[in-house]
Amino acid sequence: MAKIKMTPSQKRQAIWGWAFILPTMLGLIVLNYYPAINTVYQSLCKTGDFGKGNIFVGLNNYKAVLGSGEMWQSLWNTVKYAIIEVPLGIVIALVLAVLLQNKLAGKTIFRTLFFLPMVCAPAAVAMVWKWLYNQQFGLLNNIFHTNVAWISDPRIAWISVGIIGVWSIIGYNMVLFIGGLQEIPKDYYEAAQIDGASGIRQFFSITVPLLSPTTFFIVQTRIIGALTVFDLMFMVMDKTNLALNKTQSIVYLFYTYAFTNGNRGYGAAIVMVLVVFIMIVTFFLQKLEKKIVFYN
Amino acid sequence: MKKKIVALVLSTVMTAALAGCGESASAPANTTANSDSNSVAAAQATGSEGGYSTDSITINIWDSNQQAGLQAIADDWTAKSGVKVNIEVIDWDNYWTLLEAGASGGEMPDVFWMHSNTAQMYMENDILLDLTDYIAADDAVKQENYYEGVWNLYSSNGKQYALPKDHDTIALLYNKAIFDKYNVEYPTDDWTWNDMYEAAKTITEASNGDVYGMAMNTSNNQDGWYNLVYDYGAKVITEDHKGTTIGSAEGKAGMEMVRQLLTVGAPQSVVAETGTDSLFISGKTAMITQGSWMINAFYTAENHADYAWAMLPYADTNNNGACDEGERYSAYNGLGWAANANVADPKACYDLISYFCSEEGQKKQAELGVTMGGLKGVSEAFSSAFEGMDVSAFVRAEEEGDLFFRPYTRKTTVWEDALQQQGGFLDAWQDPSDSALMATCCDNAQKIIEDAIAAE
Repeated sequence: MAKIKMTPSQKRQAIWGWAFILPTMLGLIVLNYYPAINTVYQSLCKTGDFGKGNIFVGLNNYKAVLGSGEMWQSLWNTVKYAIIEVPLGIVIALVLAVLLQNKLAGKTIFRTLFFLPMVCAPAAVAMVWKWLYNQQFGLLNNIFHTNVAWISDPRIAWISVGIIGVWSIIGYNMVLFIGGLQEIPKDYYEAAQIDGASGIRQFFSITVPLLSPTTFFIVQTRIIGALTVFDLMFMVMDKTNLALNKTQSIVYLFYTYAFTNGNRGYGAAIVMVLVVFIMIVTFFLQKLEKKIVFYN
Repeated sequence: MKKKIVALVLSTVMTAALAGCGESASAPANTTANSDSNSVAAAQATGSEGGYSTDSITINIWDSNQQAGLQAIADDWTAKSGVKVNIEVIDWDNYWTLLEAGASGGEMPDVFWMHSNTAQMYMENDILLDLTDYIAADDAVKQENYYEGVWNLYSSNGKQYALPKDHDTIALLYNKAIFDKYNVEYPTDDWTWNDMYEAAKTITEASNGDVYGMAMNTSNNQDGWYNLVYDYGAKVITEDHKGTTIGSAEGKAGMEMVRQLLTVGAPQSVVAETGTDSLFISGKTAMITQGSWMINAFYTAENHADYAWAMLPYADTNNNGACDEGERYSAYNGLGWAANANVADPKACYDLISYFCSEEGQKKQAELGVTMGGLKGVSEAFSSAFEGMDVSAFVRAEEEGDLFFRPYTRKTTVWEDALQQQGGFLDAWQDPSDSALMATCCDNAQKIIEDAIAAE
């Protein structure tokens, strides 16, 4: 397209346009882009103490990260967490959203209740769950008269942590689904009722396909959210917990190296691996979108 | 209409959620902002007295047990100087993360604690205020009056960066009520680690696992398994801070004793979820080993009348039935009071530090039962600070036994954390019945420490 000379009023508009997005741009550059670029740079360095004296070492950090079993184990832990959190969080939220869409006494109260976990600080949520799960004094073991090490048995700890994630996210997903449901025209359901379709049939033939854009949006954002999980593991798992290796997420591993051990370069290389992984996942999701999402 | 209300409720909840997010994300920033505004407010309220350019000093520490006592001492100084002192407590793990981030970004507390784990790194990078000249001009502080190990810890290249705040030793804490219930004799100063094993075994077995005879986890290093390694003749870190002998036969013998104790103590899955201190206070375990800095937590506990202290058991390595030199070790360590190198009024910070470490401040610290002194000669006052609880075991540990300084290198946390986790000692801790596994872990530990030192 050839460049068209702007009239004075268009120019004014353009200037104001830039002026309006300037605050956001500045915020993004200072808080997002600069740290992102700096992370890439640090991942190529043997970083010095207190951010002083970085030595360029090329790809050494990446070689060490990719060759470490710990990193792959953490990536696998993160994927396992996503496998629990994303599908369960979506299915339960969808069912709840549909139920709360019907005429139901006190449905606003239910909506608020389900949304409450979202309003709580994640650290507080994790602390409460940590005590619920506690083997000695926890409510779960006391109610069921069991003696299960919910968060320190490597075989089940990842599931326990995943359940906390599901519990925390249901409300948020539900609100998005309710928004999506309200956009489906009522005519479809009326027509289906006249044709004699049951409630279940209506759900699968009308609700699910017409809701697919919302569902896809949630799937995509939640996968990315789940892959970058940190606070749950950080708050629930103690350092001496023997299930830590089997549950720690990749961001937790990054935190350990970058902040606890003060090895920022190695930590930066770990997050770069995560960034690439998320990019690959997103790429395939975008491909999938064209096939399964129904836009009317 | 109804729809509008729903929308309104939902949007309110959403906003609340967003506000919640914002809050949690910016929490650290808020705290610093708060302390800044506090100091500004204080400055406006009091105006300057005593010739200092600042009106308030912010202190960061990690032990909430000591906050009240230290604040009392700081208030005495405020009465003299007119400078207010705010003490903020940040838990151990986050303390170092925040301090390091603060040191890199230029937002640090004015005065804070230094620890053997990281002191070298902070001193070498000019993060700490150089106190050498202030000390030379100060009559209240004389090097020879302080514990040598603690004083030397905080000097680098001939400069002194922190003054000894305290020193600490380790003792054995036991619950008399549990010993009575299972008819076991109380620990004495003549106990060997084997005696401790027998007693713990009796209690654990008699209670059917309801009460554990003892509890220790991998993170109890200074107050736990380090002491056994030294008792049996090995060193976690050698004196030049460049190596370790934990993989030697002596190191393995020490860790073998640890393994035996673990077989009759609380399993790892329990102590990782509920700390040994909580287990002890809730009456779930009969014995733990603890440091003198923790006395107050037990002294103020509900059942404190049942608690008593004994010296750490010893290792009778020459089998002569008596405790000889080098058979009973207690780790000791000392914190240092340090200041930020870029503080606005270094003189005020030094004067506060000097007051904390002066005879007056140290005596009060001991009398209030905060900790033992960094200054020699105040142990007596500390022993008598806890009316009704005999804590003389901590003082006897240094008079009758031997002390070793808490093992440290330039980046202590790197290997210290690695030793606590899987691949380090955790595997043997998890399955203490396997003696060969503990020996393998000692070999792994040797390698972990050597690799970490090589990477420093």
